[in-house]
Amino acid sequence: MTTADEREHRDRCAISGIGTTDYSRNSGRTDLTLAMQASLAAIGDAGLTAADIDGIVSCDMNLVRTNDLIHTMRLDNVEYWGEVGPGGVAPAGMVGQAVAAVRAGLAKNVLVYRALNGRSGRRYGQAPPSATVEKVGGNGSYDEFFAPYGMNTPGQIFGMVARRHMIEYGTNEKELGAIPIACRNRALTNPGAQMHGRPLTMDDYLAARWISDPLRLFDFCLETDGAAAVIVTSTERAKDGPKPPALIRAIAQGSPPRPQPGQQFPILWRDSITDGSAQAAARTLYRRAGMGPDDIQVAQLYDCFSITVLLQLEDFGFCAKGEGGPFAASGAIELGGRLPINTGGGHLSEGYIHGMGHIVEGVKQIRGESTGQVEGAQTCLVTSTALPPGSALILKAA
Amino acid sequence: MSTAVDTTAVVTPRSLPFTDDLDTGGFFAAAARGELAVCACGSCGAVLHAPTAYCAACGAWAAEWRVVAGTGTLYSWTVVEHQTHPAFPVPFTLVLVALDDEPVRLVGHLPGRPDLEVGQQMRARFDTRDDGTVVPDWEPA
Repeated sequence: MTTADEREHRDRCAISGIGTTDYSRNSGRTDLTLAMQASLAAIGDAGLTAADIDGIVSCDMNLVRTNDLIHTMRLDNVEYWGEVGPGGVAPAGMVGQAVAAVRAGLAKNVLVYRALNGRSGRRYGQAPPSATVEKVGGNGSYDEFFAPYGMNTPGQIFGMVARRHMIEYGTNEKELGAIPIACRNRALTNPGAQMHGRPLTMDDYLAARWISDPLRLFDFCLETDGAAAVIVTSTERAKDGPKPPALIRAIAQGSPPRPQPGQQFPILWRDSITDGSAQAAARTLYRRAGMGPDDIQVAQLYDCFSITVLLQLEDFGFCAKGEGGPFAASGAIELGGRLPINTGGGHLSEGYIHGMGHIVEGVKQIRGESTGQVEGAQTCLVTSTALPPGSALILKAA
Repeated sequence: MSTAVDTTAVVTPRSLPFTDDLDTGGFFAAAARGELAVCACGSCGAVLHAPTAYCAACGAWAAEWRVVAGTGTLYSWTVVEHQTHPAFPVPFTLVLVALDDEPVRLVGHLPGRPDLEVGQQMRARFDTRDDGTVVPDWEPA
């Protein structure tokens, strides 16, 4: 039940500035330089200077600390900072923490950033740091139940989840393939996308090599060097800025009961591995927003893998449970369809900035500036929901 | 949270479980006796999976290890084709087995690309690694 208190943040804050670096396989720059470039771009986009930034929210997986930016960018007036995790399920929650700070009067202009050399540095698709340790597990990781069998990358988890979804609901590979193809189609009109200029057909998708069956190469997101940042402020201040404000209608974090302990692999111990974590975040988000799926015209859905998107189409109520495959394959997720998704190309084809790029693209849709613009888009769903408990938000035109 | 990456670190040639964790070590102690065991509450009987010292169902701190039959059904699987760890040459299949007698699932490893069917019967076996650690694993029954 919606309480008066939780309606308090509705439309009261906005994103007033966005900034990214280029997205590449080898940035030739440190994480710190990437973070600063995106942050400076966002600050300028908001019509602000370093002196105006009084709050910072980081992601727990950023190597760049908030004090790194405070020091190197001369953010001399910071009076609030925070951190949200874990990793890719943080971004909407990071914006949410900024909203909470603004609403509490703890900050006026909050910088929210994510930076990583995800291709030239640590690559999440390779064996993780635990693979450099001979005896794996313990300390609440539960890796001892997974790593000794050869399970040590996220793709293997999602391969099992995708197989189970096919078993339970009859989802097939062409339905899954419709998702990377839609994201690639959006990248074709986005010159900033890593996969710009490289069309992807269903034949290409099916012929590509297996990674973790039933997932193939194009079911996996890119690995990217880059950074993205946004500025969160009050709606009143955003309206004074140079760009149209993207109002934050509502934000939510949510978890199913008994989601998993440890980081990711114990997700396979849940009662159901095809009920996404997003269901909980979706319920809370729509309740706080006073909206439902019918109010959403466009969505930026966290796409570490194709199957992640498919689950979210179900979990956010755009189709019935189990119907994500037919919905994706129907054309609904392409421009002109019921719910265009990932309109800059997403993680699958634009660049993998762990969900922060999706927030930037959502703001572009609200401003009418997207390279894959949905005509007349007034509300955009942006998700940071993969398998661990995550977050989501709705952006709205003023 | 420090996620500093040592880019000179070398991936180990083999991958063994840490068997001395205070919450999970009982699993491997049972395996060393040739038994498959799950963690359960000694007070109310509820299964505690993931293994933990606390029972949220009844509030007791009475976790113990309960021997199970060692049989289960295949819940899901994935065939790994992309090489990531030298200890596990591709192709191999990761299986997820649901125990017959307790609400617990466990992961196992099968070499290659065996023909599998959801729900097929699986049985536990015990794999002695080259350092003597006994690790439960799974195979088609």
